[in-house]
Amino acid sequence: MKVYDVVIAGGGVVGCAVAWYLSHFSLDILLLEKCEDVCCGVSKANTGILHSRSYATPGTLKGEMHLRSLPWFSQAFRELGVRPLRCGALTLAFSKEEMQHLKVLRDRGKVEGASLLSPKEVLALEPSLHPGVYAGYFDPETMVISPFALTIALAECAVLNGVTMDFAKEVVSLEASGKHLLVRCSDGGRYVTRFFVNCAGIGAPSLARSVGDSIPPLSLFRGQYFVLDRECQGLVRHVLYPVPTEESKGILVSPTPEGNILLGPNFEAVPYEDTATTLRGLEEVERGARKLVPEIPLDRVITTFSGIRPALPERDFSITFSTHFPSVLHLAGIESPGLTACFGIAEYVGELLKKRGLPLREKEHFQPRIPPPVFRECSLEERERLIAEDPDWGKIICRCEEVTLAEVKRALRSRPPARTLDGLKRRVRVFAGRCQGGFCGMHLPGILERECGFSPSEIRKSGPGSFYVLRRDEVALYAEVR
Amino acid sequence: MPKSVEAEVVVIGGGPAGMAAAVSSWEHGARKIFLLERNPHLGGILNQCIHPGFGLHVFGEELTGPEYAERYIEALQKTGVEVLTDTTVLEVRRDRTVVAVNRNGVFAFHPQAVVFAVGCRERTRGMIRLPGTRPSGIFTAGCAQYLVNVEGYLPGRRAVILGSGDIGLIMARRLTLEGVQVKAVVEIRPTLSGLLRNYVQCLQDFGIPLLLSHTVFEVLGKERVEGVLVGEVDERGKPRGELRHIPCDTLLLSVGLIPESELLRKAGIPLCPSSGGPFVDEDFACDVPGFFACGNVVAVFDLVDYVTKSAERIGQRICKQKQEEPPPLVVRPGRGVATLVPQRIREGKEGFLYVRPKESFRKARLSFVQGGKEFYAVTIPICRPGEMIRLELSQVPWPGERGEVQVVLEGERHVDTL
Repeated sequence: MKVYDVVIAGGGVVGCAVAWYLSHFSLDILLLEKCEDVCCGVSKANTGILHSRSYATPGTLKGEMHLRSLPWFSQAFRELGVRPLRCGALTLAFSKEEMQHLKVLRDRGKVEGASLLSPKEVLALEPSLHPGVYAGYFDPETMVISPFALTIALAECAVLNGVTMDFAKEVVSLEASGKHLLVRCSDGGRYVTRFFVNCAGIGAPSLARSVGDSIPPLSLFRGQYFVLDRECQGLVRHVLYPVPTEESKGILVSPTPEGNILLGPNFEAVPYEDTATTLRGLEEVERGARKLVPEIPLDRVITTFSGIRPALPERDFSITFSTHFPSVLHLAGIESPGLTACFGIAEYVGELLKKRGLPLREKEHFQPRIPPPVFRECSLEERERLIAEDPDWGKIICRCEEVTLAEVKRALRSRPPARTLDGLKRRVRVFAGRCQGGFCGMHLPGILERECGFSPSEIRKSGPGSFYVLRRDEVALYAEVR
Repeated sequence: MPKSVEAEVVVIGGGPAGMAAAVSSWEHGARKIFLLERNPHLGGILNQCIHPGFGLHVFGEELTGPEYAERYIEALQKTGVEVLTDTTVLEVRRDRTVVAVNRNGVFAFHPQAVVFAVGCRERTRGMIRLPGTRPSGIFTAGCAQYLVNVEGYLPGRRAVILGSGDIGLIMARRLTLEGVQVKAVVEIRPTLSGLLRNYVQCLQDFGIPLLLSHTVFEVLGKERVEGVLVGEVDERGKPRGELRHIPCDTLLLSVGLIPESELLRKAGIPLCPSSGGPFVDEDFACDVPGFFACGNVVAVFDLVDYVTKSAERIGQRICKQKQEEPPPLVVRPGRGVATLVPQRIREGKEGFLYVRPKESFRKARLSFVQGGKEFYAVTIPICRPGEMIRLELSQVPWPGERGEVQVVLEGERHVDTL
């Protein structure tokens, strides 16, 4: 049986970042993901903010990982072919007491170009803000990125550089096998590896327990969001934070690189991985957003969603070796700012594994990921050229986000490929526009069946039970029902 | 570079409105007319409306949607209108440049007149902020209708339909005939949203329960819909009493249609806040010269016949565009009126005024007021939000003075006992 150097469990942003980082070295790496695609758990639903150093929590591992990640940004974005929205942030105080916090942010970050602003200056930057604002802290380094775009780019770049990714593989146990480890999956799959990194997110503690390690149970905190129509683009130009609470960074109003505006998240404990939205939660988000921007156009909501923060009792990250297997590393409690910190975490994981004997010999030819063209962002001339190369670029599948058939076909061929409608959505933004699949949802099944070789039962939204349509013969005839 | 195309008229959208506008432009003498349709076939939404009930006003007979479309496709074939299917318009500029794309490349049309016949789209789950999980199995009714009637799929095995709009009612019957169990049609208002005849023919005849003053409070299910929580609502939309769990694997939404006015907004065409579509005059000309709009992008019409009628006014106007028109009267919806079309009217013109009631009224009085003074009124025995009131423009004695006209609807509150 093949012996991998490293097996990573979990294809969230952390697992993919670790895979991407390790793919810079001459190693055999395998990533196992229990779902059908990367970015299906905690990583798929958050605000997507890349926080500046002002927002790093001092004296914690999460703060350390955050600061470690920042110097990686420019190299990572270049290698990954991603472009975050460099919008900057405003943290807003509504009283003299809250103003103290702004000074803390300023002094902590010492960010070049950052400053405390008077209400007049704040309102000049963001005219739609609540006029009762007392002061603002302007931070020019805060950025926003699509969490899917980042995670998928990390995965694609890792695969491009030799990482193997297997899906629908839930790791259930580890055992010693000579000098190595035997990894068992729920479907019976078995793999042998020298090192194992547990990046299983919400599943990390139970995986740790299965090898006899104890990680305290995670508390799950849900955050609900509204997404506003792209026609609201420009309503706010910066990430708008309230002064944070002990529990969270509060309910934000944030632009996204795609041109939407996100409102949220609230903060509520949930007993299990419950990503439902609730009337009460959404009302709370509405109130929170209105405190910052009173006239926020909630009639332009295109969808709502919620995400989960998996938190340890001390509200810090935990990155520790197993007490039973010296070559098993557990990562747990990677909540906010996990997206920001992912590069730093990956580098740190690499260092820890190196100390335990993993050889990190840099490859001579690391291949950067070349991002595929995005029709919506192309000039008319570029569109002409693309259509001349392949007429599928001239067939619009999604009217809201102007996605073409060529982009859909390409996402189905990418590595790792989109296997589900959600996978397509996260790669090319079908189903992500204002009609939420009212148009592309009509046409895609037929196109997938006729042009892409799917059978109707293979067209799924996400997991195995999420069929999208049925064939007529799968439903009882009228006569049989009556 | 995009291919530059000179034209007299570009019609965007090959549904009933666009086809009628193109034919009418040709018949009134326009040449170099392009009809741009993003789907592979002309007909628009009619292609998926395989039920009868179309054409009673225009043809005096009852046709199915595809049959109705066929009449106009045949009429188009007798003209020199150039039809481009599989062609999507990406942008319309204020200088009337229409940028479109298809498998042959990018085109920039430079017409003298642009007709928006782009229709409407369905309100979504996000817009009504329906809480719960986000599994597979939630469809807008029109999307499901396309999947069933055009593609030959079925959306699931057991369905609940939220909203009693016409597409929802029609789909309740359609799914039942296909063997899908339709558990209920749930309507948040105390009255039906769609046409009464659709209630009778689609729900009553098939024994499908209609729950008025009820709504879906939560969607359940992880990967696929597993059920919905349904309950009664009070006047303010708040839950009253116990919630009921209805197991189902499909939720169809028939919660309203809105004009698809994004292209118009980007082109800087003024939009009416109550209809969501552009302001138009009696010939369906927009407020910006050279731009026209017809069909459901203007306001969502009850009947395709009205859509056709709206589009047919455009040809004669385009062809005598050079003549200066006098400034029109501005007409606005007042109390009791949800929306009305057209919002600009000139004395002595033909055509119709369409008024959508806000609520159901008995012994309703539709009055026309200028400067606080009523100058005309008609009484209507019964009116409902699901059915537009249609008046001939010539039956109203439009005042000579300038000044805004308000249209007000009053009456006794009416609730249909279904």
